[in-house]
Amino acid sequence: MKIALTYLVLLVLLVGAVALAMLVGHGSLADPTLRSTLLGLRATRVGAALLAGAALATGGAVVQGVFRDPLVSPSILGTTAGASLGGQLAMLALVSGSPLASLAVSAEMVLPLGCLVGAGLSLAIVLAFCRERTGTLTLILTGFILSSLFLALSSFITSLAQDSWDMSRAVVSFTLGGVGGVSTRQLVAASPLVAIGIVACWLWSDNLDLLLSGEDEAASLGVEVGRARRWAVIWVAVLAAAAIAVGGNVGFVGLIVPHTLRPLVGVCHRRLIPACALLGGAFLVACDVIARVFPSRSELPLGVITGIIGAPVFLILLARSQREVSHG
Amino acid sequence: MADGALIEAQGLTVRRGNRVLLDDVSFSLGAGQVVALLGPNGAGKSTLLKTLVGLLPFSGGLRLDGRESSQLDRRERARLVAYVPQHSALDVALPARDVVAHGRFAHRDLWGRPARNDEAAIDHAMDLTDTRRLAERSFNRLSYGERRLVLLARALATEARVLLLDEPTAALDVTHALGLLHLLRDLASRGALIMVALHQLNEAAQASDQALLLAGGRLVASGPATVVISAEPVRRVYGVEMVPAAQFGFRMPTQKDSAP
Repeated sequence: MKIALTYLVLLVLLVGAVALAMLVGHGSLADPTLRSTLLGLRATRVGAALLAGAALATGGAVVQGVFRDPLVSPSILGTTAGASLGGQLAMLALVSGSPLASLAVSAEMVLPLGCLVGAGLSLAIVLAFCRERTGTLTLILTGFILSSLFLALSSFITSLAQDSWDMSRAVVSFTLGGVGGVSTRQLVAASPLVAIGIVACWLWSDNLDLLLSGEDEAASLGVEVGRARRWAVIWVAVLAAAAIAVGGNVGFVGLIVPHTLRPLVGVCHRRLIPACALLGGAFLVACDVIARVFPSRSELPLGVITGIIGAPVFLILLARSQREVSHG
Repeated sequence: MADGALIEAQGLTVRRGNRVLLDDVSFSLGAGQVVALLGPNGAGKSTLLKTLVGLLPFSGGLRLDGRESSQLDRRERARLVAYVPQHSALDVALPARDVVAHGRFAHRDLWGRPARNDEAAIDHAMDLTDTRRLAERSFNRLSYGERRLVLLARALATEARVLLLDEPTAALDVTHALGLLHLLRDLASRGALIMVALHQLNEAAQASDQALLLAGGRLVASGPATVVISAEPVRRVYGVEMVPAAQFGFRMPTQKDSAP
């Protein structure tokens, strides 16, 4: 009953956030000449925020299960930074004069691919360094070091992109995170990745549940642990890549959303994953509304808003987990 | 292979780096018995159990229910051999019944659809371990002893013919410890092979038919429990003298006890 009610509330939140996002923003819907254009533009960015939020929240729930640590998320582990770097490299590769540009490959296809390679690479590094008994601190430090490395490389790419004004703006905008400039073609490219990623993670729910008992117990109960971890990492990489490709580098969604939902729907991934997809989508759509209505000279980057909300939440969770450890 | 052997180990050897954790261990065990796995700390009891579950690489031969261990995939092995570790890594707010339901994983298809008799198997396992009363409680809110019982129920829910338990009575009060040993005997009488690592020799003598005595990774004695748990092997392995009659002991009550 409680779970059904939670799902109902999540649906209401999602519908409410989408409705608000369609109604709020620059330009008046009362003007019949602008209405369809405005609604079209807003629908695209609402779709992008929905996809990115759902993907990041689901990815967060899955990595927390795989690493058996509630304090990790794609952004904490450096996955989003890796995806972002991959995306920037892909953008750079499309600059006129590069071999890829001569192939006339569409940017909408190359960007998610670059993000996917970056996300997959960063997760593979984390997995290689952090086995099951790795403590939270090592996990977070590994993620921090990877994020720092990827951000340093991103800064280098940003400096390289300064030769071209358009490229420089695109790279900076992508790095800060935002759904303002997303095209319909980008949405079309990212949608199947998000859908496949979420469904695949949901289908692996039982494996993820059993991994909560640790690798040995999960294996004794019939889980092919290595295979389960590998596939989970692949699907998280797909989700993070798709999210970053349409939303830029947006942090903390994968941390906040699963934590909010576990007390309501439980730790069972079959119930947690769909709830994360709903709330993650609603959360990022709401953040995008805030970004649009915040009184500033230019629109606030989405990553700034999620960071302002997410960083204190992370610190509270960290303090709580340390209290639990010290109290035995 | 010995007729009807559920576990047949031949020269089982486990190494970690230069250390030999199990050294040339051979035995054959059939259904319908409780086998005590004995030995001092570091003798290799947990290593042997983990090897039988397929968690550690080994050299030598191992056949489970007549099949080469290496030919069994994870799910097949989980349907044949259930394992209750000494310390579980599980520490989440999952209802106890959901934890027991994990024991049905190997019976489900690749889409995770429940098998026909999942609910009945879960109920039965919880009844046997007296954990129905804990069904809706969060696993991480249970006492250590209650957690042990829920993990035993999870193992029983697998309906495996071989049940391996590592120090199952370690955190149980005397009532639940005796109840557990009684349950193991009951399961064995229904055709299961129970292998249980124990530290308490009196518990082992009381509950087991056969015993394997390990020391330094080697099998130093095996056979009927009354023979293995006797003065000479105990002195040799543990360095203590056996006292023939304890000052007091415990058993489960019988009808005779409750008669006026």
